Amino acid sequence: MRALSVSRRTLPYVGIGAVVFFCLVPFYWMAVSAFRRPSDQFANTLLPSPWSLKNLTSVFSSTNGFGRALLNSLVVAGTTTVLTLIIGTFTAYALARLDFRFKNALLAIIIATSMFPGISQLVPLLKLFTDIGWINTYQAMILPSLGFCLPLTVWNLSVFFRQLPFELEQAAMVDGCTRGQAFRKIIIPLAAPGVFTTAIIAFIAAWNEFIIALSMVNKKEMQTATVTIAKFTGQYGFDQPFGTQMAAGIIVTIPLVIMVLIFQRRIISGLTAGGVK
Amino acid sequence: MSSTSTERIRPSSVRKAAPSPRLSERAVAWGRRAPLLPALVFMVIVTQLPFVATLVISFMDWNALYPDQRAFTGLGNYAKVFSDPNLRSSVFTTIELTVVVVLISLMLGLLLALLLDRSFRGRGLVRTMLIAPFLIVPVASALVWKHALYNPEYGLFNGLLTWVWKLFGSNSPPQPDWITSMPLGAVEASLIWQWTPFMMLIILAGMQSRPLDIIEAARVDGAGTWQIFRFMTLPHLRRYLELAGLLGSIYVVQNFDAVFTITSGGLGTANLPYTIYESFYQAHDYGQASAAGVIVVIGTIVVATIALRLVSTLLREETS
Repeated sequence: MRALSVSRRTLPYVGIGAVVFFCLVPFYWMAVSAFRRPSDQFANTLLPSPWSLKNLTSVFSSTNGFGRALLNSLVVAGTTTVLTLIIGTFTAYALARLDFRFKNALLAIIIATSMFPGISQLVPLLKLFTDIGWINTYQAMILPSLGFCLPLTVWNLSVFFRQLPFELEQAAMVDGCTRGQAFRKIIIPLAAPGVFTTAIIAFIAAWNEFIIALSMVNKKEMQTATVTIAKFTGQYGFDQPFGTQMAAGIIVTIPLVIMVLIFQRRIISGLTAGGVK
Repeated sequence: MSSTSTERIRPSSVRKAAPSPRLSERAVAWGRRAPLLPALVFMVIVTQLPFVATLVISFMDWNALYPDQRAFTGLGNYAKVFSDPNLRSSVFTTIELTVVVVLISLMLGLLLALLLDRSFRGRGLVRTMLIAPFLIVPVASALVWKHALYNPEYGLFNGLLTWVWKLFGSNSPPQPDWITSMPLGAVEASLIWQWTPFMMLIILAGMQSRPLDIIEAARVDGAGTWQIFRFMTLPHLRRYLELAGLLGSIYVVQNFDAVFTITSGGLGTANLPYTIYESFYQAHDYGQASAAGVIVVIGTIVVATIALRLVSTLLREETS
């Protein structure tokens, strides 16, 4: 009997251990490969021996230009997030608070849009951007990114806005605020956590974007980090610079991990609030 | 909002007698909405216009290599998509990829959520670590799987096989070339790894909204763990499972990064998004690429609907 209860108590831990292993092993191997010497690339030891920062430094070498790529990613993802938030806040507020005709139809369209694969929009966008000379520009990446970040943002934010106490806003208007003031002074501060979560999710989505960035840009200086990693060619022509790719993968993931470690609780509630409530 | 409510209170005869205040009221209402209009319009343009353009191009015979032959062909491109064996097989690949990835990651996610839905030391830490695969940049994750795990010479999988075989005194461990021997499985495994945490997060949120007092009551009444799971937890989780499956299938249908990186669409792993990319960049056939794009959209909607129906009927049978 006691043996049974002991096994019942330890079994979940074994399960949890297995799961953690499953989730983290690829990460671990990525990190280990990044810290090996490039000549040890094919080694199979569990820890790099000796440790080396060569892969990390070669990521930023002039041939790879990863620093510039990170900057590009930051510009594209940052601008997308800011614009998405400004437009998304207004739209979500309109959808959550104001009555107008075709409101539900509009909401349905917005939700449906979030299903549209980026790939299906690629053809006309590329054609358009070629014609107006936007290839290799930031706006050619930002505008399509807005297209897929906005539905997400509007959907998430309109759920948040709908949960806010409507009476407060009315009270403010009775006390002489205009609707604009009520929005600015009552709703925005109350909605700040929701807006914040949405901002993080939008930033992650834009930061991870790949296919648009791959298609709209053919100049190396304008590539975002995700594209640069996939296109690393290494210093010696055709060899796969595997360690360098792993190092770059780690560098590009670190900002997201830090952000999520800090704001973990908010992100989880934000991810789930949008859908189920 | 306030204007509509006063309007409702006012008798209709008064309204008819005095049309002018109503007009100004409408103007006021529009004045209030006007600042919001640009945002709405911009939103519609950014999100809808490219798709409408795709739809139009999909009905046109338009190949960049023969720019003079641009013409309207009706459903010609769609006929081509379905008669081209490459494209047709990519439709089936997409379906298989989506169904396998979503179902397995849903099940794993449910399992993980069950494990995490109890208090133990370091639970917050474990939960954070479990989200890790969802955060890693998809391209980087695909590269990790391709090089660090699958590679037959220095990949972790074969390294582990060697180690285990050595443990039992054998010096000739099997060293399969994972990507060549099971290309689609390789892509699926990496996607499952990436999507399981997402499923888990949503299901965990569902678990934590369970009415615990009722479950406690059931336990007092003698229900076993399995019975509680089957008749109380699972039905409660239905909506969450549906949501997770729906969102997951929407994203997996569109997957491009993993296929592009791990197999470059070779060995029968080209799904529809990848095929579109190819017919656009190599065949320069804008019309056909657009038609395939429209099919992906329709497919996404169909897959999402079917997945939703399937999960909900399954669970309804459970409850009844």
